[in-house]
Amino acid sequence: MTREDVYDKIVSVLVEEFEVEADDIKMEANLFTDLELDSLDAIDLMVTLDKELGIEIKTEEMKDIRTISDVCDFALAANEDE
Amino acid sequence: MRRVVITGVGLNSPLGNSYEELYENLKNEKCGIEYVPEWDEIDYFGTKIAGVVKDVDLKSIPRKYRRSMDRVAQLSAVSTSDAINDANLNQETLSSKRCGIAFGSTMGGNETLFEYIPEVKEKMSFRGQNSMAFLKIMSHTVAANLAQMFSIKGRNIPTCSACTSSAQAIGAGYESIKYGMSDIMICGGAEGLHYLAGGVFDVMGAAATKHNHEPTLASRPFDESRDGLVLGEGSGALVLEELEHALARDAKIYGEVIGYATSCDGEHITTPSKEGMMQVMETSLEDACIKAQDIEYINAHATATQMGDIAESNATFNLFGSETPVSSTKGHMGHLLGGCGVVESIICLIALNKSFLPKTMNFKTLDKNCANINVLGKNMLKDITIAMNNNFAFGGINSSLIFKDYKGK
Repeated sequence: MTREDVYDKIVSVLVEEFEVEADDIKMEANLFTDLELDSLDAIDLMVTLDKELGIEIKTEEMKDIRTISDVCDFALAANEDE
Repeated sequence: MRRVVITGVGLNSPLGNSYEELYENLKNEKCGIEYVPEWDEIDYFGTKIAGVVKDVDLKSIPRKYRRSMDRVAQLSAVSTSDAINDANLNQETLSSKRCGIAFGSTMGGNETLFEYIPEVKEKMSFRGQNSMAFLKIMSHTVAANLAQMFSIKGRNIPTCSACTSSAQAIGAGYESIKYGMSDIMICGGAEGLHYLAGGVFDVMGAAATKHNHEPTLASRPFDESRDGLVLGEGSGALVLEELEHALARDAKIYGEVIGYATSCDGEHITTPSKEGMMQVMETSLEDACIKAQDIEYINAHATATQMGDIAESNATFNLFGSETPVSSTKGHMGHLLGGCGVVESIICLIALNKSFLPKTMNFKTLDKNCANINVLGKNMLKDITIAMNNNFAFGGINSSLIFKDYKGK
């Protein structure tokens, strides 16, 4: 799974399930300040990525996630651990 | 004594999504009950019809709020938005500590419940479960979600008592204003359609099963040929406001709440008690400081079950005799459970403001076991001043509300 694969999946989840405008999504976009999500949305984003990509993400390890780039890093690292 | 008036109305029912639409459909004798094809797949489930809400744009609710709402809360949100707009309330007033919410439903979000529990039980794991499911399922999901969406910071009273949920909400709002705790209360209730509720009544032999292929004939309150209730869904919201507060901002006034009572039979978990029903109506009359003969129209709970209609007709007859016009509007739209109290209260407001008393759909011959009350088999045009709305729920919970038209101080 490449970083691009993860990014594409994040974009589709954010657009379809979180109703974020596609034009607002960039690698450095901040989930909270740019995309107006909150901590519960961040958890649910990870839960959806777990379902879609099969990567186990423990919510207590997510507290430093801010940007979509952070989400990609986190998902890739979790994928390597599995 | 502080007086309580209604300054905003919103609803989403099988018989229309606004006050005027509901009135037109009652006047034109429409029925909102239809065949539900998905229910054909369910075994040991005889009722296949329901009152269904249509043409509601649930996506109009911002995702930020919609994410924690199942259908029951989403319908409530649309109705509440309409009621608040109708009342022309500004955000400062809505968010003051003097404005609150009383809202209820029988269940939280059944659609989510039926996905969530089987998955967790099967896997014995919460992996893959999102953070929103419980917020859609919890018993006070409607009152909690509405408070977030409309930033309502005063009293919050979830009234979750099945078929009296929204009548108790109106009552709680009325008392909150009357006794000085609030100036404005957003009151109502809802239910989202789900086969669970249909199945519950079916198991008890209380659901209509004879007219699955003629849905508009299925719900027959008080009629000798009735065979049970038809489930429905829907929501409604009323803005209740202290009279002087409403007058100071020149608000439109639909009517006044002048009486309310709630009680419990304290006898049997499902079998209704004639005495309990009489007691709640009498107590409501006492609260309004009026006599039984002052009531000019009664919207009965009458769900078209055998025992319920018999008990209610007897209680009504003992207090009001054979003259007072009575109708049950569940023939038009089915039984909205948590939504029925508020939608039927709105029908009382229509009766007061439009001089229009709706008939009981499909009523032809009064069951000989019912007492001889004046069940309307035809729509009636009559100028009235005071109307009563009665509702009764599992657990022997009773409620009675009295509304009066408002012709100025």
